Amino acid sequence: MTRITQDMETAAVLKAVREADGYYITNTARDMSQSDYKNRILLHTDLMAAKAREAAGYFSLEITGGASVHVDILRKQVDPFLKLELLREAMPNTMFQTLCRGVNLFGYRPYPQNVIRFTVKEFAKYVDVWRTFDFMNHIPNMQAVFEEVAKAGKINEPCICFSTGPEHTNEYYVKKVQDILDVTGEEITLCIKNHGGLGTPRRIGELVDAIKQAYPDIIIHYHGHNTDGNDVGRIVEAVINGAKIVDASDHAFTGFYGPPPILTVIQTLKDLGKTAVGIDEEAVIASSDVIRDERQHYAQFESQIKGFQPTVQIHKLPGGAMGSSLEQAVKGGFLDKMPDILHKELPKVQKELGNYWSVTPGSQILWTTAVSNVQNGRYESPSGDLKNLLLGKYGPFPFYQPADWIYEKVFGENWKTILEEEGGIDDIEDMDIEQERETLAERLGSEPTEQQLVTYLQHPNDAVNFFKFEEKFGKSYVLPPSIFLRQGGFDLGESISFRDHSGKEHMLEVGPVQKNDDGETNVYLNVDHHERVYVFEPELVEGTQAVVSLSKEEIEELATAGDIRAPFGGNVSAINVKEGQEIAEGEQVMVLEAMKMQTPVISEVAGVVKSISAKVGDALKLGDKLVKIEVS
Amino acid sequence: MKTKILVANRGEIAIRIIRAIQELNYEAIAIYETPDNDSKHIRIADEAIWLGHGPRCDYLNIDKVINAALKSGAVAIHPGYGFLAENADFARACEEAGIIFIGPSSDAIDKLGNKVMARTIMADAGIPMVPGTQNLKAGEEGLEEAREFGKKYGYPIMLKATSGGGGRGIRRVENEKELEEQYGIARTEAQAAFNDDSVYLEKVVVNPKHIEVQIIADKTGHTVHLGTRDCSIQRRNQKLVEIAPAFQLTPEQQEDISQTAVQAAKAANYFNAGTVEFLFDKDGSYYFMEINTRLQVEHTVSEMITGIDIVRTQIKLALGKELLFSQDDVLLRGHAVELRINAEDPKNNFMPEGGKTVRVYRSPGGYGVRLDGFCYQGFTIPQVYDSLLVKLTVFGWSWSETVDRLRRCLNNFVITGPKTTIPFFLRLLQEPDFQEGNFDTSFLDTHDGLLDYEEDSSEVNKLARLIAEIHQKGENTYAA
Repeated sequence: MTRITQDMETAAVLKAVREADGYYITNTARDMSQSDYKNRILLHTDLMAAKAREAAGYFSLEITGGASVHVDILRKQVDPFLKLELLREAMPNTMFQTLCRGVNLFGYRPYPQNVIRFTVKEFAKYVDVWRTFDFMNHIPNMQAVFEEVAKAGKINEPCICFSTGPEHTNEYYVKKVQDILDVTGEEITLCIKNHGGLGTPRRIGELVDAIKQAYPDIIIHYHGHNTDGNDVGRIVEAVINGAKIVDASDHAFTGFYGPPPILTVIQTLKDLGKTAVGIDEEAVIASSDVIRDERQHYAQFESQIKGFQPTVQIHKLPGGAMGSSLEQAVKGGFLDKMPDILHKELPKVQKELGNYWSVTPGSQILWTTAVSNVQNGRYESPSGDLKNLLLGKYGPFPFYQPADWIYEKVFGENWKTILEEEGGIDDIEDMDIEQERETLAERLGSEPTEQQLVTYLQHPNDAVNFFKFEEKFGKSYVLPPSIFLRQGGFDLGESISFRDHSGKEHMLEVGPVQKNDDGETNVYLNVDHHERVYVFEPELVEGTQAVVSLSKEEIEELATAGDIRAPFGGNVSAINVKEGQEIAEGEQVMVLEAMKMQTPVISEVAGVVKSISAKVGDALKLGDKLVKIEVS
Repeated sequence: MKTKILVANRGEIAIRIIRAIQELNYEAIAIYETPDNDSKHIRIADEAIWLGHGPRCDYLNIDKVINAALKSGAVAIHPGYGFLAENADFARACEEAGIIFIGPSSDAIDKLGNKVMARTIMADAGIPMVPGTQNLKAGEEGLEEAREFGKKYGYPIMLKATSGGGGRGIRRVENEKELEEQYGIARTEAQAAFNDDSVYLEKVVVNPKHIEVQIIADKTGHTVHLGTRDCSIQRRNQKLVEIAPAFQLTPEQQEDISQTAVQAAKAANYFNAGTVEFLFDKDGSYYFMEINTRLQVEHTVSEMITGIDIVRTQIKLALGKELLFSQDDVLLRGHAVELRINAEDPKNNFMPEGGKTVRVYRSPGGYGVRLDGFCYQGFTIPQVYDSLLVKLTVFGWSWSETVDRLRRCLNNFVITGPKTTIPFFLRLLQEPDFQEGNFDTSFLDTHDGLLDYEEDSSEVNKLARLIAEIHQKGENTYAA
């Protein structure tokens, strides 16, 4: 039977899937990482598994998208494009899949159309299957992505987000599918996006059946979460009723909120006469075997609460948000209030806010509103995002608008006027991308690549921080989690070996750590047999005098406000001004000397000398106060 | 009791001199100011005398230094370079205190230290000088004189106020038209600034080489030279690279300029070691600049190509010995280069890195390598002195071998803590012009990108930095 390979045309892929006697599997490694490991599974681990995953014969590997693009640069310090490039090298035959939040792309708020198109265009060079959703199931929010994906010749996989409740009928979803097909045409795979793992197996089976009845040729890709421990059941019902592709992942890493184990799906369906097409079971097992030992290093990112959560059917939090929600509860010290929040307030808020789909960014709005309601009183401190939701900025409410009292609570007496004047989806103006390119070039000090620019457009500050990280620390994806995520430091004499980005082998040996009188810490490492020492300045302890010196930029900034600081360490050899004296911009206030070199200190501003904090002969450190000038 | 000699200096040069003293089987007395408490020179010396808290005032305090010598029983003082080395008062004070000053006579220091007097002595002895005029006549007549000068020697020309100095009252004119425009203004300004409107002219030697000759003379007037040095590669008049011999000159030019230097020394009745500096023009003509009446930082390169220990010779001559070698005995072999490894950040305007502690210090060794330094692991560089850590001098048979050796040695250095000039020099060695030996004083201005180097740039060092940080903080804060 036909294995899908990356080099196949879209039409050929869809034809193979339609005609297959059996079902295909997508390995949702990205969703597993996001749901069960706070998105921290490193590229290193994915590369370890690459060979076996490639051999396993999946329909696709979901390896990017969702929150992962952000976490790649923010926490994993890996370039999201380089990641795809390296995986592609290691897995030439497997289609890569992304999860795109439509107008919100891989973030939490709507992006301008031109940014969406530019982003999709660049990612489409690596991504073959584009699973796109909108948490309001508002199809116009996905249109730009659909168009760019089609343009790039890649596979569109629009989603209908699934939830439960009286409004969530087969009729509603079948109609939604039609709305999608009207926009995309029929050469798609359709995803039933069950991000919460909601509903019973029977409910999913009925839904798949209803859609198949209406559109017999449609390829249904069922996506679920195993939060209640029963997603295999839903998958089975989906396949029996005609779904052609299902989601699961490697059993060595499956947890409580992400996908269920692939092997369990295969074994269960085999007994029901359903074949996993293209799958090499031994390779599926091997994928888990090669990465099993790595799991221990990710333990710190696994959920604080262990065990399945059948109550998801009540609170409906998506699997991808379970870990982070629990983490917030622990960090915020309200873990004890979780039963109230999850089982009482959240379902209530869901209903009050229109029973839309609890998935990003809508799930975050529900969650923060519920938490705030419990902690601060109901709708007492509404977030900006809740206001935007109520104003319809994310799209129209699918079933009903929240009650007037909520609007009144959130917006005050004039809520009707506000809703009238400000309501509805904003037309977001196109961004001046060339201007952004220049800004980025300035911040980087060099011309950015197209990929860097795309990454920057998603999350400007985090992207710049990442580029700077890479400049300073190199391509750290080569480090295994046992090093990159190490807690508590290394052992004295511990050997660390790795292969760098260019393929060179290196050996590090951990030497002693020495603390100096001045608070500096020296870390000695043998780097490829050469002794090196890394110096760390003392950390600023709150409430004590700042020991950490100011940066050059900070000193310059202070100078423009009349707060003149020592631009380098040295001795005061002359002071040219007196307190109360009027001085002009560019006037010399002091002469500093270091190692025989005298350097005048110039005032950046005109004004009156308010205070002089140094005297001749003083030995100063970088950033010490010199003169304060009241700017005139 | 052993003969004692006091070294009135610090840092690497103090050590250099102490070594020579100890090799002569004499005792070396070091002096120090408080910031030099941990300096290696006082540890290597046989005895060390604390002068005071400094900084830089006690090393310069003639009375204190003389007293230290008298108290310790030193018969002679070697001043090194800098500090009191070219201070005629100090040499005189030594003479008066009955202590031998290892260097020329106070009289020679006096005369040669005075630029005007030095020029007069040299001009009288027929040493080539940069063409110039006496004070120009007043008014139109003076301008005509100036035009004549321009026609004869070409432009650019410096228009200098006779009473100016220290860089003030100097105008550069590029052609006759500019000369005519500037002449009157220069006079008016000179009158206003110095109350004296007299001006004179001097030819500008455009982008010359800086060539100097090491000379050494005994008290009988026997004067020999130890060949040339090329110190053209400079930054703001600070020498960065020193080379012996000045191999881009023809053998005839080298011989000629060296003999001129000997002549110059003789004209000044010069005794002991000194250096005659010249500007060397593109057309092969050269002009006297000055005589440095001291041991120079870059003396090492001359030692390398001649095999003559200049400091040892200085001491012996000062103690009354005669030169044991003649000019014919001095053979110049191979090439030597000295690089000053300074604790500076070249990228930050060569800002000194004083106050930093040297965490790891590993130095190169092997054939043809000489190190003159005072740096060691754990040494905190005082902020109050210069930033020289160690001088790397290498010898090679051919120029390319010498460059290869330099590169190897620079790569063998491991100095962590302060930033150093090492990566800058490694970058400089990559310049084709350097490898081919093409350089003059404009080298730094005409070679862009010398600061385009990355420190710690290898991928493994970057990753090791991250690992060190994970280790130090107990977690990877970039992944938290």
